[in-house]
Amino acid sequence: MPRYFEDLEVGDGFETPGRTITEADVVGFAAISGDQEALDFTVGDSGLAPVVPDLLVMAITSGLGFRAPSEMPHVLAFMVFDLRPRVPVRVGDTIHCRIRVAGKRPMKDGGVVVERRQMVNQRGDVVQESEYKLLVARRPRE
Amino acid sequence: MSEPSRQYFEDIQVGDEYLSPGRTVTEADIVAFAGLSGDYNVLHTDAEFMKSSIFGERIAHGLLGLSISSGLGARAVPRPFATLAFLGLRWRFKAPIKIGDTIKVRMKVTGKKETSKPDRGIVTIQRHVLNQRGELVQEGDTELMIERRK
Repeated sequence: MPRYFEDLEVGDGFETPGRTITEADVVGFAAISGDQEALDFTVGDSGLAPVVPDLLVMAITSGLGFRAPSEMPHVLAFMVFDLRPRVPVRVGDTIHCRIRVAGKRPMKDGGVVVERRQMVNQRGDVVQESEYKLLVARRPRE
Repeated sequence: MSEPSRQYFEDIQVGDEYLSPGRTVTEADIVAFAGLSGDYNVLHTDAEFMKSSIFGERIAHGLLGLSISSGLGARAVPRPFATLAFLGLRWRFKAPIKIGDTIKVRMKVTGKKETSKPDRGIVTIQRHVLNQRGELVQEGDTELMIERRK
């Protein structure tokens, strides 16, 4: 049973499972987006693995949100987001996501829910932060 | 060393505009993006359920539109920017992208800012994603840290 606007409380939060970002993900993302810039997998003098595009990290985060322990809210529309990359994500990193309800405001057909998301790597570093505004459905009347 | 094939902070002017080629968003793009992201929301993957929705059919993931627009953006700029870092993005989803829609990106430089470091500056780029009818489907602002000429 999906969760509705009425079911979400400010302060609610959860963590998703992790996902390891592989070279195959970067190749797949380049094919879909058409952005070929991240396809140089040469390891430079630093010895560090290649950097993963920020939008790929964000796309993977959007899927991780569906693997949360509780049911996803019934989202009618994805309205706005702000994305702030903090630390580069590299091939081989395992990221998971912390999601928290930061605000809510009722509207005619549902309500706007503000979610803060932090993407965290295997060392506990916050690699990206984002804020989403989602239009969430109201519970249907019986 | 500066490379002539790239645009540095000094080369980029407020008001510069670019228009990308178009790209038709297909069912295959949506299926591939669901697999890559793990976002199998019914909005994007259940054709039967979506027949009775307000959209009448499956719609593209918002982030698929954004991802395709980033690739189109790269094709719109004849000489790539000498980007050091992607600082942030604010993005708004205005209308759905449906299977078969053809989208283009119009980019405009709306801001340039000095930083405390003399070898770089911050450039703000506004992006409008338009469909084949000229309707605005997504829009947003990207902030890039761009290298100066040496």
